[in-house]
Amino acid sequence: MGRKLLLDKAHIEGIRYYDTYRKNGGYAAVEKAFKMSPADIVEEVKKSGLRGRGGAGFPTGLKWSFLAKPEGVPRYLVCNADESEPGTFKDRYLMEFIPHLLIEGLIISSYALGSHRTYIYIRGEYAWIVDILEQAIAEANQAGWLGKNILNSGFDCQIYVQRGAGAYICGEETALIESLEGKRGNPRIKPPFPAVKGLWDSPTVVNNVETLAAVVPIMNIGAEEYSKIGIGKSTGTKLISACGNLNKPGVYEIDMTISVEEFIFSDEYCGGIANGKRLKACIPGGSSVPILPANLLLKTAKGETRMMNYESLADGGFATGTMMGSGGFIVLDEDQCVVRHTFSLARFYRHESCGQCSPCREGTGWMEKILNNIENGKGKMSDIDLLWDIQRKIEGNTICPLGDAAAWPVAAAIRHFRDEFEWHVTHPDEAQIRNFGLAHYADPIKPAEAIAGI
Amino acid sequence: MKFSEEKLSKVQEIVARYPEGKQKSALIPVLHLAQEEWGWLSPETMDYVAELLQLKPVEVYEVATFYSMYHLKPVGKYVFEVCQTGPCMLRGSDEIIAYIKEKLNIGVGETTADGLFTLKTVECLGACGYAPMMQMGKYFKEHLTKERIDQIVEECRQNAAANN
Ligand SMILES: Cc1cc2nc3c(=O)[nH]c(=O)nc-3n(C[C@H](O)[C@H](O)[C@H](O)COP(=O)(O)O)c2cc1C
Ligand code: SF4
Ligand code: FES
Repeated sequence: MGRKLLLDKAHIEGIRYYDTYRKNGGYAAVEKAFKMSPADIVEEVKKSGLRGRGGAGFPTGLKWSFLAKPEGVPRYLVCNADESEPGTFKDRYLMEFIPHLLIEGLIISSYALGSHRTYIYIRGEYAWIVDILEQAIAEANQAGWLGKNILNSGFDCQIYVQRGAGAYICGEETALIESLEGKRGNPRIKPPFPAVKGLWDSPTVVNNVETLAAVVPIMNIGAEEYSKIGIGKSTGTKLISACGNLNKPGVYEIDMTISVEEFIFSDEYCGGIANGKRLKACIPGGSSVPILPANLLLKTAKGETRMMNYESLADGGFATGTMMGSGGFIVLDEDQCVVRHTFSLARFYRHESCGQCSPCREGTGWMEKILNNIENGKGKMSDIDLLWDIQRKIEGNTICPLGDAAAWPVAAAIRHFRDEFEWHVTHPDEAQIRNFGLAHYADPIKPAEAIAGI
Repeated sequence: MKFSEEKLSKVQEIVARYPEGKQKSALIPVLHLAQEEWGWLSPETMDYVAELLQLKPVEVYEVATFYSMYHLKPVGKYVFEVCQTGPCMLRGSDEIIAYIKEKLNIGVGETTADGLFTLKTVECLGACGYAPMMQMGKYFKEHLTKERIDQIVEECRQNAAANN
């Protein structure tokens, strides 16, 4: 069993409520943190090697150290709970079942950054979780962990929950800030970065829910021990939300030393592919990262076992690798059609484009239309090259990374599953059949073999 | 058109979350309150919210039209918002959508003649591991099957009848 730092207490009955959480060691990290100086906490987070869990994997301590601190100007911490990347539902799990872990992390981080008003920006659809968080905040206030002069430190802090209203783009940090200011979620041109000019033009740090929750174990066990968990630059633990055609979809905490094969097939995690089917393909880090066929997923192009960590998943670059991303792990079984799935994702990105930049606004629409045609047996061979061309023209030419996020899934699908696209064109009457028998499947393996890494 | 006293004090509470003069930030939460109260956001409702928060009406319109959760035309008493994105599709959301259409005899975006049900398709709601799923009001309905849909529809009909 891997080490658990975030979900280790998730199974305790009543852990959602303050009394139980406190009895089980909760808020000890706040007590510890308030004995340190804010600068020392930033240093500790740096030393832990924690990387942002929202998708980009940027080192958190470093990001914190960039926060500008002009005299007389407030600074803000904003927690990104927008969680809208398809395949991702880990932050929801954390907030729903152990809300105090996030609140605790927010209090420490607010103190470290000097944020007196801290906001949790949560996607609008998680309406009932707003109630859970607000209750946890009220309990923390009552117990004196929030409010004025916390633990006699002279530090005041309040946490507020802000509900979005349905827009993937508001997960992008500058769009999130715009939305929090009561506007459309149009990303801003960077620079200036939020660390200099963010919420209401003040220096702002935006961090993911899981990132901020991880500050709690870092305080509790110390940065040094935290940094020893995991491997290389993938320190600590990571929440993975697994979905698609698995026996046991759900949220798992891993310590980043297990193989992809073990994660999919062992009973401790996903328990293999549902209905005794074979593994066809996987998008391991949320819909924006490249899809990989089974053979390249389980082993890198060099023939090494692919591990569940930032470096190993990225091994091979975009040619033969993928990314850890948000940890939204989407699995396709042998009956799934990659063209159809890619079309569905393209529709998502077209729907979610904010429309500010023409390559993204127009390109996502064209990609959806062409994929729809191909999927329905109305495509031409030249459409495949046209798709490739469009995605190339979006990538890197837009204000925010949503353009890239829309381009990459299409590029990877064509790169690895071109034969399926061609099948759709050459077999228009059979285009909607889902099992082509063309991909590089992995046969189901026995759990014991997976663990032994055979 | 006016909020109840209770909702007005909620508006005050929301405005107090932000620094002095930043009450524009209250717009998105207050539009949620308005939609709860009146079911959808009519131009009159948006004008009322603008007045309440001292914003220009256009500032409210441009926000209301940007976010997918706001209904800009009337909807049924129960809105089925079924997720159709990749991970849900892998677990049969297409079949669920087709079943609801057939059962309620409406298309996507339409409302049943009795005004009870509206069907919408939406993009990933963060429940991919519990697919197929839909949002109904404040809550998610997950692990949908045809039987589950039958059951939900029946419950809604009974609730509606009981409240009449
Ligand atoms: C289109 C788009 C959507 C994003 N959605 C999310 C999201 O839902 N949650 C999140 O934490 N980060 C999301 N991000 C990343 C954020 O911009 C930002 O990098 C992140 O919140 C930083 O937190 P971290 O350093 O703790 O990961 C998104 C980025 C883009 C470009
Ligand atoms: S890339 Fe797309 S989502 Fe991002 S700012 Fe441009 S149009 Fe908007
Ligand atoms: S794809 Fe349907 S909830 Fe995520």
